[in-house]
Amino acid sequence: MSNFIYPLAHLLGGLILICAFALLSQRRLAAMITLYQFEAMILTAAAFWQGYAQHELALYLTGIITLVIKAIALPIGLRRIVKNFNIVRAVETAMPVGLSMILGVGLIGVAVWVVLPTTMSAVTLTREDLAISLSVVLLGLLVMTTRRNALSQVVGFLSTENGLVLAAIGMPGMPFVAELSVALLVLMAFLVVGVFLFRIREHFDNLDIAGIESIEKQGR
Amino acid sequence: MVNQYLALSIGLPGHGLHLAYDPLALLFLAILTPQIIATALGPDRKSVAYWLFVAGMVLAVLAAEAFTLLLGFELMSAASWLLVLRGDRKPGTLYAGVAMFSGACLLPALFLPPGGIAFTLILLGAGAKAGLAPLHAWLPRAHPAPSAGVSALMSGGMVKVALYILIRYGFIVLGGAAQPWWGTALIIAGSASVLIGSLRAMLEVELKTILACSTVEHVGLIAVGLGIALRAKALGDPSLAALALQGALLCAIAHGLFKPLLFLGAGAVKHATSTTSLDWLGGLIRGMPRLGGLMLAGCFGMAALPLGPGFAPEFLLLHAVINAADTGEIISRIGFTALLAILGLSAALALGAAVRIIGIGFLGRPRSLRAAAAEEADKPVLLGMGLLALLCLPVALFPGLILLFLNPVINQLIPDAEQLPLGYAPAPLAFLLLLSAGAAYAVLKRFGTKAEREVHAFNGGFGKPPAWLPFGDPITQATGTGFAEPIKRALGVAILGPKTIDPGELYVLDPLRRLNVRFTRAAERVRRATIRQRLAFVFMALVLFLAALGFVQGT
Repeated sequence: MSNFIYPLAHLLGGLILICAFALLSQRRLAAMITLYQFEAMILTAAAFWQGYAQHELALYLTGIITLVIKAIALPIGLRRIVKNFNIVRAVETAMPVGLSMILGVGLIGVAVWVVLPTTMSAVTLTREDLAISLSVVLLGLLVMTTRRNALSQVVGFLSTENGLVLAAIGMPGMPFVAELSVALLVLMAFLVVGVFLFRIREHFDNLDIAGIESIEKQGR
Repeated sequence: MVNQYLALSIGLPGHGLHLAYDPLALLFLAILTPQIIATALGPDRKSVAYWLFVAGMVLAVLAAEAFTLLLGFELMSAASWLLVLRGDRKPGTLYAGVAMFSGACLLPALFLPPGGIAFTLILLGAGAKAGLAPLHAWLPRAHPAPSAGVSALMSGGMVKVALYILIRYGFIVLGGAAQPWWGTALIIAGSASVLIGSLRAMLEVELKTILACSTVEHVGLIAVGLGIALRAKALGDPSLAALALQGALLCAIAHGLFKPLLFLGAGAVKHATSTTSLDWLGGLIRGMPRLGGLMLAGCFGMAALPLGPGFAPEFLLLHAVINAADTGEIISRIGFTALLAILGLSAALALGAAVRIIGIGFLGRPRSLRAAAAEEADKPVLLGMGLLALLCLPVALFPGLILLFLNPVINQLIPDAEQLPLGYAPAPLAFLLLLSAGAAYAVLKRFGTKAEREVHAFNGGFGKPPAWLPFGDPITQATGTGFAEPIKRALGVAILGPKTIDPGELYVLDPLRRLNVRFTRAAERVRRATIRQRLAFVFMALVLFLAALGFVQGT
């Protein structure tokens, strides 16, 4: 069984990276939410697996929190927003998909380039896990900067947070409080953003933040 | 840092301010003292900033280590900035910028190990403060701005403190690592200052600006002397180094006397006529004869005429340049020969500028009612100027004696130097001149005709004033601008370009201004960025940082 620890951990990390990358390529909101749900589920599995491998009870707890909040509660909330706002068919137009994917590949390259030499002395498991999670963080940030729809920015933010949690569970000795507070923070942020989205919609009838930008320009 | 340690420890807790003196510091203190006394006689002594300024200069000169030196230098800069802000024109921002630049250059330089980088930074920092080309364009704007006493002290004293730092570090602290190119850089910067300063002094119209431009010229002369000395020292020619150093230091002494004198006089002129523009002055010597006489003495020094205080240093410098042109490879020979031409030209231009100040401002007919109604300057001002003029006498008549006093300084800067006696003795010359003039007078008195004949007085080339213009028509006289016009056509256009704009202004300040505008626009663009663009900025910064980290780790 112990022969499987590293390959399976890498496999799960790789799956999360693929999800994050697919998030970048996906232009429909409903599909983005589904991808995010997949990502959170795989993260749950990764947390359980790491808990088993490191014999750490706290990681099981992390997995349960991830499952309940991120894989179940948040996608439901997001889908409800999409349904209420009637933007099931909304399509992003901000940046060509091909270009953003090329940028994403570049970011993964940067992450690998930074992490692998920097952590030469660390354990192999954490090294490659760190490279993967940094890539996921950067891809989530890229989604946040390239999308114009506020909801897809929210999804990008949540994906970034998944990358952070992936780094945290791969790191032996990370205190549980940190993960718990990150999870709660995400929940809070989601609530705040939800309220904010409703306000934007009240004013502009859609979630395109171009409306805010034009107001910002007028204000100066 | 100082050879003869007689350090006091006062001031800051933990560190303390270390003061010490050695021949070089004493020399510069001696240069500063008369101007401080002369300017303190005026109304400036009531201001706190003035005394802070003085304290900063004295502290910088007497400092025993780098920290105290820098503290004094910055105190001097900050106090003089306050005084500039208080003046009538407001080039304060430019002045503060230059002061910060020189502080920013000196701060690392004083703590760097001896070497080329340290000297370059010292040269930039002290040179900017002293007004060496190409960083001189601020000086003709800032020095005329404050009141006369402060202008005098800035031009005569502050500039010397900057040069003092240059000498102390170039010759003593960094002396072990000296390279010939240090001197060459100083010579090039100095000769550019000499050329530009003397030409602008000839072309400007404002009296105080003329004097400030002349300061640029004299700083350039001192820098040329120092440069030749530094170069000769590095090349192993101590006697040439001593000769050039004699010229430079004597020039510093003379300039420290006649330039404050002239600035004080310009302030008195402004007080009496409310302007310093030559085009509105004229005939002042009738209203203010004593001031006119003292200004004449100062201009005599500025013009570097024989028997004046400015001649001996110029003589020594020319000798040093001729000696330097006599040795070395072909490039340096050509360069020094060209430098000789520049020095000759600048001496002629300085004479022109001095003649212009006296001829346009003090002789002829008044060009305005105020100039006609000018009254004699206040007694304290005259007293201060008289003191400076009196001190000019020994420099003018007994420069050999002054050089004897300079010997310890030169021995300190160039240990194995031998001082040559000065080949110019003005006192016997003056005596001979006096003798022959007296003899001629006696002969005329004894054998000349006693008959009288009435003729029209020579009236400076123009006729009797018409009845309806009691002061004459001012237009019939040459103005300051008109007087300079031939020089402007012949030299100004050739050297400064068709618009006769200072190269320091054109190639240093203007690009900086354009850069400022460009940066402001970029900053404005960032400020106007949308949320998403700002997010993208931060994101790009993060990625660049990561990439840099990976690059550093990877190599």
